[in-house]
Amino acid sequence: MAYLEARGLGRDFPGVTALNGVDLSVELGRTHILAGENGAGKSTLVRILTGTDRASRGDLLIDGKDPLTDPALFRTIAYVPQELSLFPDVTVAENLFMPFARSGHAGLVNRKKMEAEAQIYLDRFGIRARPSDLVRHIPVPDQQLLQIARASTNKEMKVLILDEPTSALTASEVDRVFRVIRDFLASGHAIVFISHKMEEVFGIGDDYTVLRNGEKVDAGRIADIDEPALIRAMSGRDVRIDEHFRPASAVSDVIMQVDGLTGQGFADASFTLRRGEILGFAGLVGAGRSELMQTIFGFRRAKSGQVTVEGKAWKLNDPAASVQAGMLYLSEERKHHGIFPLLSLRENIGLSVLSLTSGKAGINAGRERGIVAKVIEDYGIRAAGQGQKIATLSGGNQQKAIIGRAMATTPRILVFDEPTKGIDIRTKAEIYRIMKTLAEEGVGIILISSEMTELRRCASRIITMHSGTITGDYDAATTNSETLVGAIFGSDMPAAAVNAAAGTSSDAETPHVH
Amino acid sequence: MSTEASAQTARPSFLSAILRNPLAGVFIALLAIFVISCLISPYFLTSYNMSVIARGLAFVGIMTIAQSALMILGELDLSLGTIGGLSGVISGMLMVQAGVDPWISIVLALVLGLLLGLLNGFLVTALGLHSLVLTIGMAGVYGGAILVLTKGVAITGIPASIHFLGRGDAFGVPVPFIVMVVVLLIALFLTLKTPMGRYMYAIGNNAAAARMLGIRVNRIRLMIFALAGMLSALAGVLMVARLGTAQPSIGQAWVLAPIAAAVIGGVATTGGVGSPLGGIFGAAIIAIIENIIVLFGVSPYWQGVVSGVIVVLAISFDALSRRYIRRDSH
Repeated sequence: MAYLEARGLGRDFPGVTALNGVDLSVELGRTHILAGENGAGKSTLVRILTGTDRASRGDLLIDGKDPLTDPALFRTIAYVPQELSLFPDVTVAENLFMPFARSGHAGLVNRKKMEAEAQIYLDRFGIRARPSDLVRHIPVPDQQLLQIARASTNKEMKVLILDEPTSALTASEVDRVFRVIRDFLASGHAIVFISHKMEEVFGIGDDYTVLRNGEKVDAGRIADIDEPALIRAMSGRDVRIDEHFRPASAVSDVIMQVDGLTGQGFADASFTLRRGEILGFAGLVGAGRSELMQTIFGFRRAKSGQVTVEGKAWKLNDPAASVQAGMLYLSEERKHHGIFPLLSLRENIGLSVLSLTSGKAGINAGRERGIVAKVIEDYGIRAAGQGQKIATLSGGNQQKAIIGRAMATTPRILVFDEPTKGIDIRTKAEIYRIMKTLAEEGVGIILISSEMTELRRCASRIITMHSGTITGDYDAATTNSETLVGAIFGSDMPAAAVNAAAGTSSDAETPHVH
Repeated sequence: MSTEASAQTARPSFLSAILRNPLAGVFIALLAIFVISCLISPYFLTSYNMSVIARGLAFVGIMTIAQSALMILGELDLSLGTIGGLSGVISGMLMVQAGVDPWISIVLALVLGLLLGLLNGFLVTALGLHSLVLTIGMAGVYGGAILVLTKGVAITGIPASIHFLGRGDAFGVPVPFIVMVVVLLIALFLTLKTPMGRYMYAIGNNAAAARMLGIRVNRIRLMIFALAGMLSALAGVLMVARLGTAQPSIGQAWVLAPIAAAVIGGVATTGGVGSPLGGIFGAAIIAIIENIIVLFGVSPYWQGVVSGVIVVLAISFDALSRRYIRRDSH
């Protein structure tokens, strides 16, 4: 008897059926992979399973009972969202045990007891922090681990739902998460695991359920399916991720020249961006790649150094001037730097093309609707209509809207910062194709990515960074992964660690499916 | 899949389109309160009473438009009331004590309001201060300046040539109300039809993302603070014209009422949503409630309690109706 059982679940929103006839059966002691592209209905299903949303149709049983008549049952389902949702100005220990009643810390706050118990969790998950540290001050990968640890402090937990838990983690940290997952399984818990990374799915999964367009299209045991079949089930057709998406055009003149730029988080950075190439930036989370690009863009203050674009001095510290001069930066933090959550899809996209849509009589609504419709069409954004609030779209569709919005302005230099974080394979391929086409059309493309596979597939040239310094500049076609990973970790890194990291981050991920 | 995505769903019916409008709830509440008032008091729906309400609404209404614009940006200015008072008092001093032409005095007062608003905006953007805290301090400064200048005594003898701005009627409608409607139309054009308006909502939603898109966030903040200061000065001089004296107490009632009106009208204090029109609906609800309380001869001691309860009922009604509408639009 499955612990968590859903039969014929459906959820309707005006204009869209987000879920229809979905069955799911999660057994204790096993890892259940929930697979599907962005917008397939995974998040809607998770919201129903955790009790934050209600199904329009169908039955949900937890431990054989209906949680709608006994809502306490929902407390046995713990959920770790993909985006960080910790309290940044509260200590690690308090973050771990909130809400206190559920973790055995009810009553007056006893800091000593709490911090002693927190240390056990920190050791178990290998989190590099003290219980008394503020979450704001600990590194992002540790925050992600802390988020998983927090879910597990819930003493009533039976099922743990992990939504892309490894997006900010390196290979060795992923191993740590997997060890913890195996401990949970051994102690009789069930794991629901959502990931777009195939090596993780096949590394940890026991059972799987595939959703597509809100419907269950396949389910079974992981042992009975292989990668191509799983991807085919998710996308509904054969997706071919080509060996590479490197631009085929000849590399010509210099678009941007950066000389000795220093800012917060990086120092003395010099490099050139040439027409016709995709310039990749490799490094660990926190190596200073985003900070460097945001400083060139003007979002952060430059301390010294200069930038030249097409022979002319580039104005620093003024993002509005950068946008006017044709540079755009697509942040990896969609939520904080990308979307305007309370505005509609139309307003979100329309914001960047107001110069095209407005005249003396104000904004021409018809013209705006036309441009937005074209972006929606060109980038395959799935939405109920232009008026839908962007916050209610899936992550992948939000990302496509942000990219589409940028394209509508015909930029000259475009920085993609982790553009495929949390994005399904087919959308990934679409984004790669967009970057390639743009580079071939002469737009300067910079790609920051923590996925070595992605860089090797797309970039013509790869610059490596380690703790704020550029450590190398490699031709992507002729350099092997080991060299790149060595440069990412800094030269003093022990070889074993380098190999461990290279093991999962090289070409392991599903290059071709026929 | 992409074609299916861009295909528009069937157009919703006219009625449901109206009900989906975020202003529907507050507008229905306004209508309900209006109809109830007509039913329970024979004196309510008279042309005299209507003009009393409209004239009273005009001042708070202009202030509400100013505050709504700032709230959409995610800011608040608690010194707007004292900017209105100070500008009004200074316009009176210019006219009466300095003998400046009344019209030029009014223009100078508006410029003063603009500059004071700009000063607030400058301190908020340049020093990165929180607007709520800063403007509590500035309200003390401007309010203190009123007392220093007037020593608490009203300036009498405002030239009769401008009294019509506050007391007069045009086509049977109070002049201040007409001014408010003009201001509202300009504000609606600004927020709905211009890039500047879109930028205001974008900044209120996510200022960092707005900066990343190349929007000059601080410049827009400065402009809206300045415009809000100027509108406050406008309300101030209209009130001077209405009273015929420049009272040091002008503006004291304009601090919380506009914020309450804006919130009732669906402008969130957290920024990014709402419309000046909603704020005016909210102000109208408050104005009608205060009027009906007077018509019923409620003891002045109880007026605050009664009007407070009705305001809470009105926003509860709005919240409930919104939840009902959202049930199918999620």
